Amino acid sequence: MTFPYKGYAGYYLEVDLTKGEVHKKEMEKEWARLYLGGSGVSSKILWERTTVETDPLSPDNVVVVGTGPITGAMFSPSGRMMFAARGPLTGVWAESHVGGFMGPEIKYAGFDFVIITGRSKKPVYLFLRDGKAELLDASHLWGQETDTTTKMIREDHKDPSIETAVIGPAGENQVLYSGIIVDFYRAAGRAGLGAVLGSKNMKGIAASGSLGLEAYDMEKYLEANAQEMEKLKDPLWKDSLASLRKYGTTDLVAIINEIGRLPTKNHWTGFYEDADDIGPEIIAEKYRIAQEACHGCAVGCKYVIRVKGGKYPTEPIGGPEYETLMAFGSNCMNNDIESIFHMGKRCDLLGLDTISCGKTISFAMELYEKGIWTKEDTDGLDLTWGNAEAQVELVEKIAKREGVGKILSNGVRKAAEQIGGDAWKYAIHVKGLEASGQDPRAHQSIGLTYATNVRGADHLRSISCIEELGYPKIAGDRFGPEKAEAILEIMSPKHKGEVIWDMEDLYALVDSAVICKYTTMWPPVFYYDTFVNVIPALTGMEEWGNPKYVRLAGQRISHLRRAFNHRLGITRKDENLPPRLLSEPMPTGPAKGGLPDLSEMLDEYYEFRGCDRETGYPKETKLKELQLDFVVDELKPKGMTR
Amino acid sequence: MKEILTIDLELCTGCRNCELACSVAHTQSFNPKRSRIQILKDEVRNLVVPMVCLQCEKPLCQEACPNGAIVENEHGILFVKEEICIGCMNCVTACIYGGIAIDPQTKKAVKCDLCNGDPACVKACDYGAISVASTKPEGLHQRRKAVSPAFQTLGLQIEEVQE
Ligand code: SF4
Ligand code: SF4
Ligand code: SF4
Repeated sequence: MTFPYKGYAGYYLEVDLTKGEVHKKEMEKEWARLYLGGSGVSSKILWERTTVETDPLSPDNVVVVGTGPITGAMFSPSGRMMFAARGPLTGVWAESHVGGFMGPEIKYAGFDFVIITGRSKKPVYLFLRDGKAELLDASHLWGQETDTTTKMIREDHKDPSIETAVIGPAGENQVLYSGIIVDFYRAAGRAGLGAVLGSKNMKGIAASGSLGLEAYDMEKYLEANAQEMEKLKDPLWKDSLASLRKYGTTDLVAIINEIGRLPTKNHWTGFYEDADDIGPEIIAEKYRIAQEACHGCAVGCKYVIRVKGGKYPTEPIGGPEYETLMAFGSNCMNNDIESIFHMGKRCDLLGLDTISCGKTISFAMELYEKGIWTKEDTDGLDLTWGNAEAQVELVEKIAKREGVGKILSNGVRKAAEQIGGDAWKYAIHVKGLEASGQDPRAHQSIGLTYATNVRGADHLRSISCIEELGYPKIAGDRFGPEKAEAILEIMSPKHKGEVIWDMEDLYALVDSAVICKYTTMWPPVFYYDTFVNVIPALTGMEEWGNPKYVRLAGQRISHLRRAFNHRLGITRKDENLPPRLLSEPMPTGPAKGGLPDLSEMLDEYYEFRGCDRETGYPKETKLKELQLDFVVDELKPKGMTR
Repeated sequence: MKEILTIDLELCTGCRNCELACSVAHTQSFNPKRSRIQILKDEVRNLVVPMVCLQCEKPLCQEACPNGAIVENEHGILFVKEEICIGCMNCVTACIYGGIAIDPQTKKAVKCDLCNGDPACVKACDYGAISVASTKPEGLHQRRKAVSPAFQTLGLQIEEVQE
């Protein structure tokens, strides 16, 4: 093998579903050096292999299954992996990340990436084991829910250690926000990647491996690792980490409601009076039965619940995240926690994104309230706010694309277009992706994050919690003490362009490494220096020991993903917010009256990003500085550079 | 004084960091499948069962080995002499606690050797689930307490003689 870098498995796999062929190839040196792994490498692959004409649900679309050098290499939290493609919900860049144990398993099975194209004639799944790959018949799995699918695959191979990433019925039915479920209850939920696999007749991937990974300099790597862990042990983070272990992300229900940012009533407001009913204490006290953690993770935000009796009893299942509680709870004015658990579980088994699903249901509820929809449109369902039973039925109908579920399975943007009239006013999305559980009217910089996020209205590409939770030292250390005060002001747009630009590049590296956002996003412990410290010792790529190189790599990945979207027609006018979040002042709660100053923040962001203010297009000089000459070659003739 | 590992099931999150640490300590690579400690999971039943050698007083593995490959090291801990082991799996069949297994790469038996008195897995467990106990009666009791609920669920019996 000539691929020189450690930490990586060293190979990737080409899967052509149309021909039913798999080809094992050696990893590309340039991928590692310039894009690290995960999101970065995916952006390079998708830039090269898709075009403006690529229909997301056609055989032409390409799904990249990615890991990074740190995946599975004993760094907390490093059990993550990702998927990317041109997204069916948004039509633009789509990526989704997930924890659990599958990412490491793919690498132990001998692969860093899997690139999937074409469409299989009959249902198949990919099986990876110790350097070998084969496409296996999935006819018996087609139609099965995700937990049954995993159980059946394990039985087929008589190997309980097999990990999986599979789609459920929703993905098979190409619901535009269907996700990929990993290890039973973890989801690469967002942006509809499940539908892309479904369109290819691919049920998923299963892996089991014993190949192991090496470090370039094990002693040095373990030392670097210990230094980073030491940072995590700083007393400053004690409370955050204790909270994550006790409540997982459900604590956010209380924290976020307190600042008036908890999406409520289809994002009408940011304060939910019954927030206590949907977490976190009630979950910890009444339903939680065990703690879990992803592969090698010291944070351990995962937990298991059980519900005895009532309308929605369940055997032990993975407990819901904050976003699920928000999407089916506050945002639908539903304070019946057991119904929320149930819908979270059904989404995992059906293979649906809980955020988009809950947000589409709240959209339908508002149409019903406004009289745009009546029982005639809803198959007779009473979509009054808080009607949990109706919500539960909608989840099933959406996964089956049945009745009213047919239109709702297209997401709020397309549904609003189909319904017409004023419906668009209640479709809370950016670029077609339903907004996640934040609100820029209570937290300025999240407005910029939503607007600029390459995959749409979602926090995970650049959210800053520095001002949300108030970390003055971090603000000062990273951006200079003179800026700290304004940065900590959650409703001030000042310096937020710089902060979000900085976060976006940092997360680009996190998403390429691939590690979890916890420890980087919140608590904000790991920073660029973490990569400088860890990557060279692990991989042997010396240039990653240079802080400037690492920063530029983050920028390179951010720019390439943006360029992917520009090529598809995205400009500043799409880097916007839905009217409700942009111009309806927050009506109630602690953030009452709040509105984001989006255009001021965008101006500053484009300045830092090296983009033109009018259009958002990249500057040619910037792209060249980042060794993205091939982007210049393609965008310049189209007038998409400055 | 001989020592043993005990694992508190209540605290174990199933994160497999112990497996990673053990594989690094013994194989200089990240490879949970080559670890001497194994975390068995049954997600459907919400079961996480750590399996590691119990350092038995009457070691069934040693008894079963036709080649005498399982011997004591200078700390009085049984380990597998790789050069003597023929990979026949007799020890694996004999050990009813899942404490010894075949390394998927060397195809020889491997078992916990307590890392020569400095167990890597104990340090790697961020949840404080693994501890070292002595083979005095309290320690043995702790060991039994740790493994019995899981073993019962898996249908395994712990021999009284072990206590
Ligand atoms: S912080 Fe939570 S989601 Fe992230 S890797 Fe750890 S357990 Fe998984
Ligand atoms: S490191 Fe600790 S918590 Fe994690 S699997 Fe091992 S014993 Fe359990
Ligand atoms: S004590 Fe050492 S050999 Fe035994 S399981 Fe732990 S790390 Fe492995």
